[in-house]
Amino acid sequence: MSNYFEERVLSVHHWTDTLFSFTTTRDTSFRFKNGQFTMIGLRVNEKPLLRAYSVVSTNYDESLEFFSIKVPDGPLTSRLQNLSVGDPIIVGKKATGTLIVDNLTSGKHLYLLGTGTGLAPFMALIRDPETYERFEKVVLVHGCRQIAELAYGERITAELPKDEFLGEMIRNQLIYYPTVTREPFRNRGRVTELLTSGRLAEDTGLPAINTETDRFMMCGSPQMMNDLKGIFTQAGFKEGNHGEAGEFVLERAFAER
Amino acid sequence: MSFAVTDACIRCKYTDCVSVCPVDCFYEGESMLVIHPDECIDCGVCEPECPAEAIVPDTADDAQRWIELNARLAVLWPNITDRRDPPADADAWKGVPDKLKFVPEAAA
Repeated sequence: MSNYFEERVLSVHHWTDTLFSFTTTRDTSFRFKNGQFTMIGLRVNEKPLLRAYSVVSTNYDESLEFFSIKVPDGPLTSRLQNLSVGDPIIVGKKATGTLIVDNLTSGKHLYLLGTGTGLAPFMALIRDPETYERFEKVVLVHGCRQIAELAYGERITAELPKDEFLGEMIRNQLIYYPTVTREPFRNRGRVTELLTSGRLAEDTGLPAINTETDRFMMCGSPQMMNDLKGIFTQAGFKEGNHGEAGEFVLERAFAER
Repeated sequence: MSFAVTDACIRCKYTDCVSVCPVDCFYEGESMLVIHPDECIDCGVCEPECPAEAIVPDTADDAQRWIELNARLAVLWPNITDRRDPPADADAWKGVPDKLKFVPEAAA
């Protein structure tokens, strides 16, 4: 299969009984932009079984990291969640995706809106120095149902601010806004409501959302992406793409089955 | 579950979609591209790329006819994996209605 790299699993971490992350080796020729995804999977009965996964690690990391849900009876995730260190895994050579800074015009505030595993591409983007060079403030919103699902929270709040290279940019420019819908927490509410009510901007101390200073990247369910696209289009924001940068971009975190 | 190319592609054939597709599921006819519905993984990255807005999700209003047409033509045509320059008059054909007559295989 010349379209794939043959890699090995380096580590597996379970966040909850439905969420896990894993790292793999990385071929030195695998290149991608922070925020992109690639196809990854396993050979099942000699046939490659693949799904699209955002790369959680950055393009300057030596290994690859991915964040996954466990789909009940899912042909791939039911196997992926049982991977052990050293197990083989295949990684597609062609990374792609809409969630790249090049697809956005310049602005002051970059809002990254991720729900569930939709956080994944933003983990790479918040460790990309270019993100902080292009935007003064970066607001990372992670929406989940429960607190336990707020994966990577400690990495974002405790480790990244101490990062040798990015720490200062992160301390000064990154605003982390986790929110849950189903239990008491310092932030509550659905991402769509937090936006339309103005509460997100209020809570982060930024001006009300406007087309002049604000740019958005979003990753979540197809339904949420449709809802948000409608909200932003109505508010006068233009969707960006590779051919022409715009004010928002979105990507499905998974496909409906 | 799939996306599909509509007649808006015909005689424009910008092929911007091809360069972003992670699974190379586009197939090339003389004047348009189609998506193989069984190979499409529904990632949706192609949709915003098309300057002619010729790609629709299967949840769109009249998507079914396009899914069926794409399924039929994708098995007749060769796979395309790299972007090509569009025809010189592509922009003139953007938004022009009723272009299906230019695809003989569509009538078959």
